[in-house]
Amino acid sequence: MNGLSAQKLKALQLLTQPKDSQLISHVNSCVHCGLCAESCMYYVATNDERFVPALKVDLLSTIYQRYSTVTGKFLPRLVKARELDDATIQEMVDLFFGSCTLCGRCTLHCSIGVDITYLVRVGRAMLASMGFVPATLQSTVNAALQTGNNMAIPTEDFTSTLSWLEDELRNEVQDPQASIPLNQPDVNVLYTLNPREPRFFPLSISAMAKIFYAAKESWTLSTFMYDVTNYAYFSCNLEEAVKIAERLFNETTNLRAKRCVLAECGHGSRAFRWEAPNYLQKLFSFDTLTSVELLAEYIREGRIKVDKDKNQETVTLHDPCNLVREGGIVDEQRYVLNHTTTTFVEMTPHGLDNLCCGGGGGQLSMSEYGDRRMKIGELKAEQIRKTGAATVVTPCHNCVDQLIQINNRFKLGVNIKTLAEIVADALVLDQPAVTPSPTQKA
Amino acid sequence: MTWYHYLAAGAFLLCLISLLSHLIRLVRLGAPNDYSRRRGNVGSAIVFSFLGAMSPAKKESAYLHLPTYTAGLLYHIGTFVSIALFFLLFFNIQPAAWIRWGVIGLLAVSGLSGVGILVKRTTVKKLRLLSSPDDYISNILVTVFQFLTLVLLIQEAFAPFYFLGASLLLLYFPLGKLKHALYFFAARYHLGFFYGWRGIWPARKS
Repeated sequence: MNGLSAQKLKALQLLTQPKDSQLISHVNSCVHCGLCAESCMYYVATNDERFVPALKVDLLSTIYQRYSTVTGKFLPRLVKARELDDATIQEMVDLFFGSCTLCGRCTLHCSIGVDITYLVRVGRAMLASMGFVPATLQSTVNAALQTGNNMAIPTEDFTSTLSWLEDELRNEVQDPQASIPLNQPDVNVLYTLNPREPRFFPLSISAMAKIFYAAKESWTLSTFMYDVTNYAYFSCNLEEAVKIAERLFNETTNLRAKRCVLAECGHGSRAFRWEAPNYLQKLFSFDTLTSVELLAEYIREGRIKVDKDKNQETVTLHDPCNLVREGGIVDEQRYVLNHTTTTFVEMTPHGLDNLCCGGGGGQLSMSEYGDRRMKIGELKAEQIRKTGAATVVTPCHNCVDQLIQINNRFKLGVNIKTLAEIVADALVLDQPAVTPSPTQKA
Repeated sequence: MTWYHYLAAGAFLLCLISLLSHLIRLVRLGAPNDYSRRRGNVGSAIVFSFLGAMSPAKKESAYLHLPTYTAGLLYHIGTFVSIALFFLLFFNIQPAAWIRWGVIGLLAVSGLSGVGILVKRTTVKKLRLLSSPDDYISNILVTVFQFLTLVLLIQEAFAPFYFLGASLLLLYFPLGKLKHALYFFAARYHLGFFYGWRGIWPARKS
């Protein structure tokens, strides 16, 4: 390793000094059968051999071999072992950041069982340690680190949006006591948001507030830390991922909330439910669950009443990869849709096998790869078209964003909704026992 | 014991020591410690990882490529049978005639599967892009080993060539991709652990 810069040496440490046997197990297992190709949206959409997932494994594995194995050190040509030079780094950026949504389909279908997504994340972590995270993705991480949310929404703007939404909620449910509580300690639920909600999709906040109202839930939002996302999970900069995760952990702990409910955000829920305890090396004392699980729980336990006749259009479901394939939430959203819509049809394939929409892995923020993202979105467009659905539901705001773009680009003419919006539309509210609100009095 | 028996025994010992060192490293590094709250049954997911998840119905890599999958399966069966026979043949134990002819038939098919896989690797562009000399050498050594086993079962005079071929394979084994014979089990364990911890496996119907 003589002659390598300090940055490269730091990156190589991630490969050559593993903390456990996971890395060496996966990096030594690929047999180059190439049968993973058809499981990757990038390969299927473009037919470009560079995008075969095994090549991503190979890229990492050949660097590993060069610096960690006898064969790679003394007979590098035998295994195509390669140096961590500038050309290799550029290829890593293009393959690990530019052509992978971390959707995990290739892993699930690998003939051997190589966790390809994990290896891509190791590759991204190496790039992050050398400062090669695409600037667009890094700026999203920086916004979160500097302002507390990835869209850099000032607190005043956030609170004024919530205040307006609270008025709307009171009018809609005709109850002046209805509220969107802020920074309340000792509640049952601390609810989080994807910053896209206050910025672009405030109706999804209204929908969830209405559901909490109907369920008579003890809940709150925090104005200090409400951002469920953690884009450092995508950039794979561990230090930054820890900082972002720690904020939500601290806020939940400070408010003494019993449950931290993660908004409809695939990667956000994965990053906090599954990765954050490992980032922080802590067992969480509070429950962490997704809003999808909470909605199913409310319906199952009769805490909210729903009438499926209120949603009569044909509805299909897009399964977010991080929530489903990487998070195990498969049945809950189907349970909810079967209770809140009259005509729910599945895509083919769906569930664990569902195709990624193209917006995952930080792709939505990496505009330099936008063309590729929309190219693979065509596969999702076809899947949606074949269902004949009028509405596509997805419990993930990144997916919502990508699906809206797919809808426009491929002229699908469908509505895109979150699960909470569907549930809110189907809610049957008790008659309000109310005194008229100040606005009504006026 | 002849010279070729000593050669094969030495090669086997070197191969074993090398693979043991890999195994010891795997065990010493251990499994990752997961701090998140477990949602599923890790034990049954690991079992599923080795059994149910390996079924062709569960993997696109199998059901979209049935001829390749079948060839790969036969090739691996032929390899395991050849390795088992190596120990018998080393001690000059010949299987019963009816078994021998069954094995010869199997090895003919599995060896041809190996040739088929090699042809595919050399002719399909995406596989050529993926392949290193190690991929070709590994395939050739294993395929030749299977054919040598077949020939030895028919003609005992072929023993020197058989043990020479087996020794080459054993010496090469720890150097390249053939190590997956060991790492495969570790990878599937980790995959089962990952999916089991999160309640994704064993797969349910959605």
